[in-house]
Formats: sequence, C-alpha cells, structure tokens
Amino acid sequence: MNTNTMSYKTKQFLMFAGVTTAVFVAVVIIPFIYGIYLTLTSWDGVSLSKPFVGFENYTSAFADAAFWSALGRTFIYTFIAVILVNVVAFILAFLVTSGVKGQNFFRAGFFVPNLIGGIVLGYVWKFIFNRAFVAIGTSLSVGFLSNSWLATTKGAMLCLIIVSVWQYAGYMMLIYVAGFMSVSNDVIEAAKIDGCTNMQTITHISVPLMVSSFVQCLFLTLTRCFMVYDVNLSLTKGEPFNSTVMAAMHVYNQAFTYKKFGLGQAEAFILFVVCAVVGVLQVYVGKKAEVSA
Amino acid sequence: MANLVLKDVQKIYPNGFHAVHDFNLEIKDKEFIIFVGPSGCAKSTTLRMIAGLESISGGEFYIDGVLMNNIEPKDRDIAMVFQNYALYPHMTVYDNMAFSLKLRKVPKDEIDKKVREAAAILDLDQLLERKPSQLSGGQRQRVAMGRAIVRNPKVFLMDEPLSNLDAKLRVQMRVEISKIHQKLGATIIYVTHDQTEAMTLGTRIVVMKSGYIQQVDTPKNLYNKPCNLFVAGFIGSPQMNFFDAVCHVAGDKVTLQIGKSVFPVPADKAAALKAYDGKTVVLGIRPEDVSEATADDIAHGQTISAEVKFYELLGAEVYLYFDLEGTRMTCRTPSSTELQIGDIAKFALDMNKIHVFDKETELTITN
Repeated sequence: MNTNTMSYKTKQFLMFAGVTTAVFVAVVIIPFIYGIYLTLTSWDGVSLSKPFVGFENYTSAFADAAFWSALGRTFIYTFIAVILVNVVAFILAFLVTSGVKGQNFFRAGFFVPNLIGGIVLGYVWKFIFNRAFVAIGTSLSVGFLSNSWLATTKGAMLCLIIVSVWQYAGYMMLIYVAGFMSVSNDVIEAAKIDGCTNMQTITHISVPLMVSSFVQCLFLTLTRCFMVYDVNLSLTKGEPFNSTVMAAMHVYNQAFTYKKFGLGQAEAFILFVVCAVVGVLQVYVGKKAEVSA
Repeated sequence: MANLVLKDVQKIYPNGFHAVHDFNLEIKDKEFIIFVGPSGCAKSTTLRMIAGLESISGGEFYIDGVLMNNIEPKDRDIAMVFQNYALYPHMTVYDNMAFSLKLRKVPKDEIDKKVREAAAILDLDQLLERKPSQLSGGQRQRVAMGRAIVRNPKVFLMDEPLSNLDAKLRVQMRVEISKIHQKLGATIIYVTHDQTEAMTLGTRIVVMKSGYIQQVDTPKNLYNKPCNLFVAGFIGSPQMNFFDAVCHVAGDKVTLQIGKSVFPVPADKAAALKAYDGKTVVLGIRPEDVSEATADDIAHGQTISAEVKFYELLGAEVYLYFDLEGTRMTCRTPSSTELQIGDIAKFALDMNKIHVFDKETELTITN
C-alpha cells in the first residue's frame, strides 16, 4: 500500500485525530469566529436581532476611557504579579529540589492552592484580609493590620497580587522543579569543581539551562494574569471605587451588566490581541535563548 | 603538582552501606594512578571523595600535607573529566574552557592565552566558537580535557573519560592522554574498568574489589606477580586459566597433578609449595603460556590432551578454547596453527610462568 498519498494521510489523520479535531472546531474555532462576527454587531446579548454596525464597536472601544484604564491597571497588576509569581515559584522549586527532608510533602503542599477554584480562593482570602488580619492587628496593636487592606485602592490591588502569587506559585514551582531536575548533575558537579559557589552555580549554570521552564512559566503567568477574573470578582469585585477593575471584568460588565454585547466582545477581542502579541513575543524571545544539550 | 595521601579512608552511606573500607594510598607527584576494578567496586566513589563531591565518612585525605576532608571541591585545586564530559551546553568551547578562569578573575588576555594554548595542544583551534551540541564525541572529550588543562591544577581526576567513545577513538584518545601526561607532568588519577587502559596508561594501578584495595603496583608487576586470585583473574585478557591441582612433595621435588597428568614445579617456585603436600591448590597460567605441545614435551609426558571446542581468529593470533577436568581453558597461539575445532590436541604448560594460589585464602603462594 502506498502510504505517501494524500488520501492515505487524510484517512490516518481522521482516524487518530478526527474526533478531537471536530470537537475542537465545534467548541473553540467556531465560537471564536462567531465572536469576531459579533464584534461587528450591536447585539444586546438577549434579542434575536443582531444589527450589523461595522467597526463602530471598535471605535467605541478605542474611545472607552474606562476600558483603557482597566487595561493599564491589568498591565501593572500583570507586571508585578508575573515577577513575584516566578520569583517565588523559582525559590520554592530550588528549596524542594535541594534535598531537604520531606521535599515531596512540600511540593504537594505548595501545589494545593492551585487546586482551589479562584472564586473560593477569593472569598477565603477576603475573610483573611477583612477579619483575620484586622483581628490580629487590633489585638496586637499592629497599625498596618488594624484596618482591612481591601478598603484602600492600593491595598486592594496589593491583596489581588498576593492572592494571585499564592494561587499560581505552586503550579509554576512544579515547572521549575522539572527544569531543575533536567539539569544534569554532572554539569552541576563540574561547575562546583570549576570554582562556582552555590549561587554562581544557579546563576551561571542552572538558570541558563532552564530557559524552557522560564518560557513556559512566563507564558502561563502572563496569559493567566491578563485574563484574571474569578479572583478579581470574589476578592474585590473591582472595589474600592472601581480601582481594581481588571480588563476581563470590564469586558464582562460591558457585555452582561450593561448589555452592550458587541462592544464587550470587541474589547475582549482587543484584549485577546494584546495578550497574544505579548505572549507570542515572549515565547519567541525565550525560545531563541533555549539551549539544546 | 602534588602529593596525595589517603589514610584509612572510608565511605559509609546513610543507609549503612559500607562502600569503601580502609583505603590507604600515597600518590607521588607526577604519578599516573589508575583505579581499576569491576562495576560496584567503589573506584568512582573513591575518586569522588578525592574531588570533594562525596563526603569522607572516616579517615583522612591530604593534598600536599593539607587535610582536605572538609574543603569544598572548588578550593581543592583539582580538575575533573567526567564520563559524559559534563560540558556546559549553553557555552561555546572557548567559554567552557575559560569558565573556571573567569570565576577566578584571571585577566582576560591571560585567559585567552591559556585557552588558545590548551586548544592548540588538543587540536581544538577550529572549534572554539562551537557549542558542545555541534561537536562529535571525540571532540567533546577533548574539550573536557581542555577545560581541565587550562586550570593547571594540582591533580587531574578522570572518571572513565573514554568509555563513551568507539573503540578506534578510544585508542587514539588513550595515546593523547598519555602524551598530555608526559607533556604537563601532571598528577593524574584515572578511573576505568577497562584493563587495557589501565595497563597502557598507568604508572601504578590500584586494583579494587567490593570497596577494598586488592593490590597497588606497576602494570608489569600486576600482570606477572598478582597477589591473589582476583587480581590474577582480573588483569589480563583473555583472563588467566585456573584449575585445581594436587600438590605432591618428595624431598626437594614438588609436582602438581592435574587429572592424570603430573607437572614438575621449577625449583624457584617449589620451596613455597612444600607446606601444601597432599593439598589441593589453584594453578593459574596465562593463555600465552599454554602452547601446542612439542615432541620434547610429549616425550616427557608433561602435556594435556584435549579437544578444541572453539577457535577465535584475531588476525596475528588465535585463541583456542578447550576443556580440562571440566574447566574451560584458553590457549593463545600464532595464527599459523593448523588446529581446528574438533581436533584432539596436546597442550603444554610453561611451568616457569605458573601462578599458584591457596584454595582457601585465594592468596598467591608463588608466582
């Protein structure tokens, strides 16, 4: 049988990937394309009619100061959270691969926050910030804990960042653990004999050889932070004074609260493009720095 | 360069496994010492203790009179070549070789000079800008050597550096390593399980088994005067033939009886065997000391008659395999031999070259 013909290859593809491709097209590709079409309508999200308005929604989106303000806020949140998540995850990964007793227990323990849904996590931490910290601060007369951090604009943003770091660091830690374990022990030993201190071994050897882990972690944290919604909703609801309304929450509000589905969809598409450009650019730069052993 | 002293060195792992027992060795400046032994004999563990990559559980280790037990690897002034080379994949050949000097803050022009000198010695001049992934196995091995050479360390440690190379390249690199030793006058400790490497490279060889030193001697002495049955069997390829023989003493004359054949023992070896009258000993003889019997041998009746079971042609010589009293024997003979598989032949033993071992203690009685 000639296995190099187009029909044979098509049959092979359909046999192994036909079902999954069909599902992927049905639940991702078609809704995505339909979503782009909706950005060209003034649909309210409820009625049957979807009047075509061309690029009017995009014009409105670019003129929507609240959207750009939310996007700017998302950039700031993402910038700080991405750095902190990755720094904390890297340190945790280093600790749980350094041979400490019970390192498997710690690995599992640090990963647990990632298993709790964002909504639940937000409510748990809301209680901690509003009640637990305040109770501790009041009883011990610790000034900065006496009032809820969620009550101030900067404090609420800080809380959002803290919870995101707590949520994502364990997951990213696992990727960094895999990175640490992929560095050959012989290379580490060679570095030690060559004269490296422990810190120099990490900076000169481990980190450059773990670029693929950094690429993955940065991509995941960037996209997750850009799209943050659940924790945002349950922890701050965008308050106080809309100071913590992130881009995804703004888009949701436009579409479902203010019934401007077309505008919300257009802003979501802009958010997607921004997110995709940043993510792809970061992966492209990171991949270039990867080392083949 | 340096003098090394290992005094009663032990390695005991946390699970209680005693890997190295009472390792005592003095290594003089410019010596090329080989640690050889079968897998699991703790030769690499011992080397790693010398490097500082494994802690020393007991005993003392000195370099130039300075106790090294608790000194970090980077402060021992040693260089090591690993079995899989352990090159830094993200650095070029130049940077791999320069890395240790950069860490020591050596001036740039001096680094450049040293790297290029080492590259010239190892014929790496054209490869300095390449990454390890763009090199062949032999080239990587040379870079690993270069990385060690630029340091000009007190001691070079090599952990089976040739075992990942093909047979031809291994022979080539063996010669290169030997040249480097002569050129640099370096103290080298080299771990291998390949006895050809051990015999050709080493000025002294340490034969190890199960964490114990069996014998420390020159290659020639190890081959000709093994101290026990293990060393006699381990050194030499094909390995020494062993079979049980009964010792008979009659006045000054000592004979060894193998089956129905009786072989007189030369006078210089007979004295040591006098205490073994009537006892069974282990007779060892190397394949090259077993030969096709001559008319003279046959006339004296000092021959073994056996059927050739296997025939291996190696070019200049042939290995003939036959059974004697249930033990497989090997005869190494020129390829001009007419013997073939299935032939019944008479073989003679060169009794001046025999080795006799105590059957119980396995120690050498006479060489």
